[in-house]
Amino acid sequence: MEHKFHITLYLIVVFIMVIMLVIQGSLLTFFLIGGIIPDLLLIIVVCLAFLWGEKRGMIVGLIGGLLQDVFFGPAIGFFLLAKMVSALLAAMVSREIYRDQIIGPMLTVFFVTFVHEFIVFFLVGFFWGNEINFYFALENMFLPRAIYHFVLTMLFYPLLYRAEQRKFFYPSFK
Amino acid sequence: MGILALIILFLSMIFFTSEYRTRYTFAEDLVLTGLSPVQGFLSKVGLSTFTFFQGMFDYGRVLEENEVLRKEIAKRDNQSYQLLELQKENHRLREMLGFKIRVEYSLLPAEVIARDPSHWFETITINKGYADGVEKDMAVVTASGLVGNVFFVSRNSSQVLMLTDSRRAVSALIQRSREPGTIGIIEGSPEQTGFLRMINLPPEANIQKGDTIISSGLGGVFPKGLVIGHVLEVGKDQYGLLQQALVHPAVNFNRLEEVFIVIELPFEEGQGLFEVEEDEEEENEG
Repeated sequence: MEHKFHITLYLIVVFIMVIMLVIQGSLLTFFLIGGIIPDLLLIIVVCLAFLWGEKRGMIVGLIGGLLQDVFFGPAIGFFLLAKMVSALLAAMVSREIYRDQIIGPMLTVFFVTFVHEFIVFFLVGFFWGNEINFYFALENMFLPRAIYHFVLTMLFYPLLYRAEQRKFFYPSFK
Repeated sequence: MGILALIILFLSMIFFTSEYRTRYTFAEDLVLTGLSPVQGFLSKVGLSTFTFFQGMFDYGRVLEENEVLRKEIAKRDNQSYQLLELQKENHRLREMLGFKIRVEYSLLPAEVIARDPSHWFETITINKGYADGVEKDMAVVTASGLVGNVFFVSRNSSQVLMLTDSRRAVSALIQRSREPGTIGIIEGSPEQTGFLRMINLPPEANIQKGDTIISSGLGGVFPKGLVIGHVLEVGKDQYGLLQQALVHPAVNFNRLEEVFIVIELPFEEGQGLFEVEEDEEEENEG
């Protein structure tokens, strides 16, 4: 089960990602908390990478990043790179932590959010132009978002964990 | 090793797509076109839920505001008739003087269906695309003023880069003084999100708190005379040589629901709202 390539698995992932992207871009923009919109896509990517390990996690990160670049990015690659690295990190961390206790993924999401935002901050600054001061961004963008994601993981991780246990991602058509 | 190769690949991809990508690929277009109705629907749901709760929480204030606005409308109605008369008169006099009206504009209404949730790019998505005649670089406005310009176009939706993006520079001038040389650059204020700043103003520029800033029409993307915002404070730039001003935008960028795309009408006499690039062949009397 672990090493087989499941096309349905990735189709389901694409479907979930698109829904998350549409929700955070069109619906959540009306319900800002502290002027911040959470990156649901990142939470899903990190949680799935946490559950599935490096290889699959990375593919999930690439799918999420590519979709976000297509929808909202001015160029392809900003979120692709950031989400791939985030997934990889989460998968590496998951080897050392119990997967069936929620605090592990919550803390992972919290710290990976900083890494993700830092990569985007750096890439945007280098390729696109960005005048935001790093410490300003750290305090007003990275930290509130990390806290937001930390809390939201309580909602998403159990759902994904249960979906994985019940083989939701591996439907059989017999 | 493989990871490093991927990272290098993606870095070069960002470089090439940010420099040379001027339009969506077929696959991107397909995805965006397919999902724009879903985005439109969700954004409507979000808006109505938001307004429902907002209305519930401050019903009293809404009633009061309604009353004030009714009176305001009655006043404005009266003014708009007068303006229409003046516009007609202006048109007639221009014809008599032989001023050429070279380009006119029409306004295409569009709904905002999404906005960049990452905050790194100040972009919104609207529900009109090349099927409706929208093209890259067209100006986007609301009734209150300038919003930004079209950045990418798919079949039924477009991405708009807003003025608050610190990469979006617009040439602007001060409506009150109109002195030559007071043209400054308007860009997003990086530290005060939602505000704009006007930079590169010469030290002798006549600018003060409360002044209205309008687009200058230089640069070709934005028509002249669109309201950008009002000056909040004036100060020296970081080197103490030039002046700069903090500008409160006329448009509320956090609550954009409906916008208009400014479409250029080719060489035709019409009743357009905006005029630019006039050949002012002023004849000296005497």
